[in-house]
Amino acid sequence: MPELGNRANVMGPQPIGARHSLPPDMLALGERILDLLAAGKRTELEALAAPKGSTELRELIDAVAPGVFDRHEIVGHAKVNKHYYVKARLHSRSVEPFTFQMRLGEHEGHWAIWEAVNLTGGRTAWTR
Amino acid sequence: MQRMIAVDRLARPDNRIMVPLDRIREARTDQGLTPLNVMPFEEDFLKARLHGIAAGEMQAMEAAGRTLFDFPDAPWEFQLDMARQVWDESRHTEIFSKLLEYVGSYLGEFPEGEVLWSCTQVDDPACRVAGINRGLEGLACDVFEQIIRLGQKMSDAVIERAVDYVLADEITHVRMGSKWMRKLTEGDPERLRRAQQFQENIDALFNFQGFRTSKEEAPHVPLVVAGQQMDFDATLTISRETRLMAGFTEEEIDRLVQAAARSAAY
Repeated sequence: MPELGNRANVMGPQPIGARHSLPPDMLALGERILDLLAAGKRTELEALAAPKGSTELRELIDAVAPGVFDRHEIVGHAKVNKHYYVKARLHSRSVEPFTFQMRLGEHEGHWAIWEAVNLTGGRTAWTR
Repeated sequence: MQRMIAVDRLARPDNRIMVPLDRIREARTDQGLTPLNVMPFEEDFLKARLHGIAAGEMQAMEAAGRTLFDFPDAPWEFQLDMARQVWDESRHTEIFSKLLEYVGSYLGEFPEGEVLWSCTQVDDPACRVAGINRGLEGLACDVFEQIIRLGQKMSDAVIERAVDYVLADEITHVRMGSKWMRKLTEGDPERLRRAQQFQENIDALFNFQGFRTSKEEAPHVPLVVAGQQMDFDATLTISRETRLMAGFTEEEIDRLVQAAARSAAY
C-alpha cells in the first residue's frame, strides 16, 4: 500500500504510530555488496559475512560471473526485529538478471551478511 | 489450470520479501529472540503481529479460492462456503492493510511466511479445512482476542472494533471447518483420523514452546505499545471462551493448553 502522506487534514482516524526509517548504514552495505559482487571481489565480500553467512555467501559469489553485470538495484526489503532481508538484482545486457536475497544484521558492532540466497530462476526464497 | 500450485506461484509484487518459516525463526534466534513469533514485549509487536495477520488473511483468501477450484466434485454447499470465505478473507485483508497503516506500518515491512499456503498442498478437502479452518483460524481466534484486549487497554476503539469485527467471521470459519471435516469424512474413520492428525500438526507448530498459556495464566510485564506504557501479557494466550464460541469442545481446548504447557518443559 502506498504511503498516504500527511493525513492530519483528513477526516477519520489518524495513524497512531510513525513508520520506521531504514538504517542508512544497512542500505549503504547493501549497495556496496552489489558493487563488489558485480566486480567479483571475493575477499572483500567474504570479509562482510558473519560466520553463519559465509558458506551461503561463497555459493552466491560462485554463481556470479565477474564483470558481466553493469547495473544493479535493491528491489525490496523487510525486517525481522533489527535484521533486514534485502532482495537485490544485478543486470547485464548480455545475460539474464541475477536475483538474490540477503539478510543483513549487526555482528560485532558492524552490519554483516547473515544469509545469502540465490533466487534466480525462482520467484521467492520459499522454494530455495 | 493446474491444481495444488506451489507456494512461490502466488502472485505478489516483485518487491515483496518471502521467507520460509524456518529461516524467519533462525533470524529471530540469531538476535537472541524466541524462535516462534513476535512476542508482546517486543518493540515491533503490534506492527509485526498485524502484518502477520494481514499476510495470513491474504493467503487464507487464496487458499479458500484454490480449495474451491481444486475440488470441483465436492458438495455444492461446501463450494458455497469456500466462496463465501474468499469474500470474507478479502475484506479481512483490506481491514488489516488499513490497520497496518494506522499503526505506522505497511504491507511488505516484514517478510511473509508460507505456513497457511502449505496447508493447500494436501489433496483432501477434509484435511484442508481441518488445517486451515480449525488449526489456523482457531489460532486466529486466540490471537485476535489478545489484540482486542490490547486495544481495550490502549483505549483504542479502532483496533478493538476492527479486530472484533473480523473475529466474528473467524468464529464462523472455524465452525464451518468443523462441520465439513465431519461431513466429508462421514463413514470413513481413517479419513477423519488423517484430517485430525493434519490439524494436530498445525497446532503443534504453533504451541510456541512454552510462550503460549491460557489467558488466565499469562504473566504480565510492563511494555510500551504505540507510545503508551502498560502492563500486558508476556505470552501468547489461548482464549477458552472464544474457542468455545467457535465450536471447539472443552476437551479439545484442554488438550491444547496441556500441549503448550508440556512444551515449556522441554
